[in-house]
Amino acid sequence: MSNEEPKNEEITFEEAYTSLEETVRALEEGGLSLAEATRLFEEGTRLARICNELLSAAELRITRLQTAYGEQMRLLTGEREQDAED
Amino acid sequence: MPVYAVSQITRYLKDSLEADSLLNDLWMRGEVSNLTRSAAGHYYFTLKDATSQVRCVMFRPGYGGEHLAEGAAVIAHGRISIYEVRGDLQLIADLAQPEGVGELHLELERLKMKLEAEGLFQVSRKRPLPDFPKRIGVATSPTGAVWHDIQNILRRRYPLVELAFAPTPVQGDTAAAGIVDAFDAFNAEDDLDLVILARGGGSLEDLWPFNEEPVARAIYASRAPVISAVGHETDYTIADMVADCRAPTPSAAAELAAPDMDELLERIHYHQRGIYQWISGDLSDRSRDLDQTYRQLERHAPDVPSWRQRIDDLSQGNARALDSYLNLRGERLSALESRMASLNPAGVLARGYAVVQRQDSREPVTSVEQVSPGDDLDITVAGGGFPARVTSP
Repeated sequence: MSNEEPKNEEITFEEAYTSLEETVRALEEGGLSLAEATRLFEEGTRLARICNELLSAAELRITRLQTAYGEQMRLLTGEREQDAED
Repeated sequence: MPVYAVSQITRYLKDSLEADSLLNDLWMRGEVSNLTRSAAGHYYFTLKDATSQVRCVMFRPGYGGEHLAEGAAVIAHGRISIYEVRGDLQLIADLAQPEGVGELHLELERLKMKLEAEGLFQVSRKRPLPDFPKRIGVATSPTGAVWHDIQNILRRRYPLVELAFAPTPVQGDTAAAGIVDAFDAFNAEDDLDLVILARGGGSLEDLWPFNEEPVARAIYASRAPVISAVGHETDYTIADMVADCRAPTPSAAAELAAPDMDELLERIHYHQRGIYQWISGDLSDRSRDLDQTYRQLERHAPDVPSWRQRIDDLSQGNARALDSYLNLRGERLSALESRMASLNPAGVLARGYAVVQRQDSREPVTSVEQVSPGDDLDITVAGGGFPARVTSP
């Protein structure tokens, strides 16, 4: 195949997972040429690997949005609130 | 001195009553009597106490009409007006509750009625939750267990997600404003897939901010779908009714918010196995087909050995045919040879015969008339010849 393999960072888990399911469906529907079937197999294997990698590498990220109350809390409690976070 | 028509006065009274802010939005306590219900579903009744009574009507679809019964003590909400046709003063009620329920409860029922009429609770308006959220807004108290529970559950279930935390008080006078503020912050983000509004259990008073109108409207106006999880399973707030999805507890909200990583890994593994099995099966099918086709091809291929055999056979036959031809010719030749041999004059002479020729003409003498006495002859016998003379006829 002449297509360049997209880099993992460029694909989200949702995209990879949805594509994986589509690939499996296409394989199961059949009626493919050997070349197509082989290509889909390779693609599916690659997508499953990406999904696994994305899931196992993930770490919950937390951001704090600016709200009036949040600002108030920060001023009032300072450090203590930080401690309560983790 | 102006003189007014009756209808001018009823109109004036109606306008005056309806302009009065107290009469426009009031709760009135009394005992139900003369209750009738029209075919169209409107309630007509009188509310009375020890000394007075007021005519009341509750038009369909009234809220809490089931509490109306002869003699029942109720609290009705509505506005005072004049029924101009009869000049009757009446309460146009939109809500009835049994007497004895608290003020908060009455307020809650009234707000529910209002928001329901505006369509804030409509099921058709509820949005589906995303299958794979990337960023979830969480509005809750920064100090309670709820925020920690939500983090822990999502860290375990689906750590791909990012939580955008908008801390807010969740009880007391500042809570409603804080929640509205949190929703403003969420709406300012343009990549939130989902919002969770949560607080732990508490009394009706504790949960009150989640029954306030500004909170309901903030949830309704949220750009991202909202999961509401307020109190315990049995608590049902207006926030729960407006939200796109109601979770019985904050932990349940976190579970509803995202898929479970273990299940996903299981499904990915299943797909992986599936495609591997599929391709193996496909390849072995193709290889079997190929074998079969090859065997068919073989069956229809020219049978070289047999052709070779036939060619051998043919060439052998050919040789045999030539041989027999030659033999036949050979036999004929020897037959001819023996016939030739029998005709050889030398052979005849050898058997004792002689050839007689006239000396003068060299003619063979085959008859007595050819010779006379005195004629010279040549006699040839086997092995040579000699002259002779005829002596007598």
